[in-house]
Amino acid sequence: MTEALEWLQFVLAPQMINGLSIGVAVVLMALGLTIIFGLLDVINMAHGEFYAIGAYLAVALLGLGLSFWWALALTPVLMAVLGYATERGLIQRVFHSKDRHTLTLLLTFGLAIVLEDVLKIIFGANPLRVETPITGGSELFGLFFPNYRLFVMTAGGLLIAAVWMLVFRTSLGAIVRAAAFDRHMSASLGVPVSRVYAATFAFGVALAGLAGVLLAPIYSVFPTMGRDFVLIAFSVVIIGGMGSIKGAVLSGLLLTQVQSISSLFISPVWNDPLLFGIMVMVLMWRPQGLFGKLGHA
Amino acid sequence: MATLVGDVFFLRLATEALIFGGLALSVDLLLGRVGLLPLGQALFFGLGAYVSALVLKEWHASFWLSLAVSLLASALAGLVGGIIAIRSKGVYFALISFGLAQVISKVVFNTRELGASDGIIGVPGAVVVPGLDSTAPTGFFLVTLAVIFLIYLGLRYLMDTPFGRQLSAIRTNEDRVPFLGFDPWRYKLLAFVGAACIAGVSGALYPMLRGFVSPELMFFQVSGNAVINVIVGGAGTLIGPLYGSALLTGLRSVVGSFTAHHQIIIGLLFVVVVIMFPRGLIGYLTPLLQRRIEARRSRHHQGEQ
Repeated sequence: MTEALEWLQFVLAPQMINGLSIGVAVVLMALGLTIIFGLLDVINMAHGEFYAIGAYLAVALLGLGLSFWWALALTPVLMAVLGYATERGLIQRVFHSKDRHTLTLLLTFGLAIVLEDVLKIIFGANPLRVETPITGGSELFGLFFPNYRLFVMTAGGLLIAAVWMLVFRTSLGAIVRAAAFDRHMSASLGVPVSRVYAATFAFGVALAGLAGVLLAPIYSVFPTMGRDFVLIAFSVVIIGGMGSIKGAVLSGLLLTQVQSISSLFISPVWNDPLLFGIMVMVLMWRPQGLFGKLGHA
Repeated sequence: MATLVGDVFFLRLATEALIFGGLALSVDLLLGRVGLLPLGQALFFGLGAYVSALVLKEWHASFWLSLAVSLLASALAGLVGGIIAIRSKGVYFALISFGLAQVISKVVFNTRELGASDGIIGVPGAVVVPGLDSTAPTGFFLVTLAVIFLIYLGLRYLMDTPFGRQLSAIRTNEDRVPFLGFDPWRYKLLAFVGAACIAGVSGALYPMLRGFVSPELMFFQVSGNAVINVIVGGAGTLIGPLYGSALLTGLRSVVGSFTAHHQIIIGLLFVVVVIMFPRGLIGYLTPLLQRRIEARRSRHHQGEQ
C-alpha cells in the first residue's frame, strides 16, 4: 500500500507535472495553429519554424545583452511583425483561390523549408543553450520542482486564458470572428477584412514564437526544433477539432499527459507512434475531431 | 577513368530520379486526378523498398519475384490505409495520410528485427534476366526506365477510361457523383490502392539500386519531396511529375555538392511555383512551347514575341 502511494508521489506525480509544463507550451502552439485554421481556413505548415524563430530571437536578444524578460516581451512583438508580413506577402497571394486549403498548405510547407535553412545559415546547425532565468526549485506536495517549470505552467495558463478571453469576450475578437464568418458582410459593415486576416495570422505566429521563448531554457535551440514539435501540435489540433480553441486546450493537455505517463510504462521511443495512432483512431471514429464541426475542409 | 566514374554516378542519379518519379506519379494520381493531397505516400514507397530488400536478402529472389511480392504487400497496405484515410476529405485526408505514415515509419524505426534506425544493408543485386542484374548501371537504368514508363503509359490509358473520368468527376464535384449513380468511395479507394501499388513498385526498385533501405525512406521528408516534385512539374499532367522529379533530383544532387543549404533553393523554387505557376513549370511551359512551334509553322505568325 505504502509502496503504491510512494509510486504515485515520487514517480507518477513528477512525471505528470513535467508533462503539464510541456503541455502548456504545446497548447500555445496548437492555439496559434487552430486560430489560423479556424478563422482564416489556412493550414500553417510553417508554424514549427515560427516556433523555432521565436526561440532563436530569444537567443539573439540575450546575445545583445538584454535580459530574458525583455526577450520574452519583445519576441511576440517581432514575431507578430514577421507574421503580418508573411500573410501580406505570401498567404494573401493564394488566399482567394478555389483550392485555398491545398495551396496555403503547400505554400507554408515551402516556407518552412526556406525558413529552416535560413536559420541554419544565420545561427549554424549546432544546438545553442539559453540560460534558465529562474533558478532553484520549490517544494510542492512534498516534492521538488524546478521553479522555471512552475513559471512556464503559470504563465502559459494565464496566456491561454487571455487568448480565450480575447477571442470570445472582446469586441476585437467579435470583429475577427465576424470577418472569418462572412467576409463580404463584414467588409460592407466597414471591417478592414484583409488587415484583420493578416493581424489574425500575426497573432497565431506570435503565440508560436512565445512558446519558443518559453521552452528555450528547457530544451536546447536548434534549426529543426520546430519539426517534431509542430507534429505534436498538429495532432493536438486534429484530435481537438480543427479551429476549436476548447479542443486544442483539452486535447493538448490530455495528449501530453498520455505521453508522459506512457513513458513510465513503455519506452519513450514509442511516444510518437502512440500519439499518431491515437490521432488516426480519433479521425476514424470522428473525422472532424472531438470538438470540431464539419463544414470546414 | 574519371569520366567513366562520372558516368556511373550520373546514371545512378538518373535511375534514382526515375524511381522517385514513380513515387511522384502515385502522388499525382491522388492529387492531380482525385484531388486528394497525400502527405504520407512515402509509407508505401518505403514499404515496397523494405519488402523488396527482405525478399532479395532472405530468398535471394529475382527482380520479378521481389517486384511481385512488393506489389502484393503495397496493395494490401493500400487497401487497409485507404479504408482508414478515404473516410476523410481535404485537409483531413492530407493529415490522416501523414499520421498513418508517421506511425508506421516510427514503428519500423523502432523495430530491431528490421534493422531499426540502420535499416537493412547489404541487399544483393536482383537478376532481371540471365546475364543482367541490378548492379549493372546502364542495364538497370533501362530496366527502371521501362518500369516507370509502363506505369506512366498505364496511367495515361486509365485516365481515358470510364474509371479515369469518374476520378475527374470526383475531383470536380464529389457531391454530385452519387446522383449519377456512382459510389465515389469505391473509386477513391481503387485510386488509393492503385497509387499505393505504384509507390510500392517504385520503392521496390530502390534497394536494387542502392543496396540498402533505411527508415528515412518512409519519413515525411520523402513524402514532402514527392509532393514538391509533383507541384513543380505540374499536378494532374502525369508527365510533369516525371520532369519535376528529374529536375529536382538533379538540383538536389548538383546544388547539394556546392552548398549544404540547397534546401533553400528548392524551397524558394517551390514557393514561386505555388504562387505564380498553379499548373507547374511543365504545365506552364508546354502550351508556351506548343504556341512557339505552331507560330514557326504558320507563316502568318513569323514575328512571334
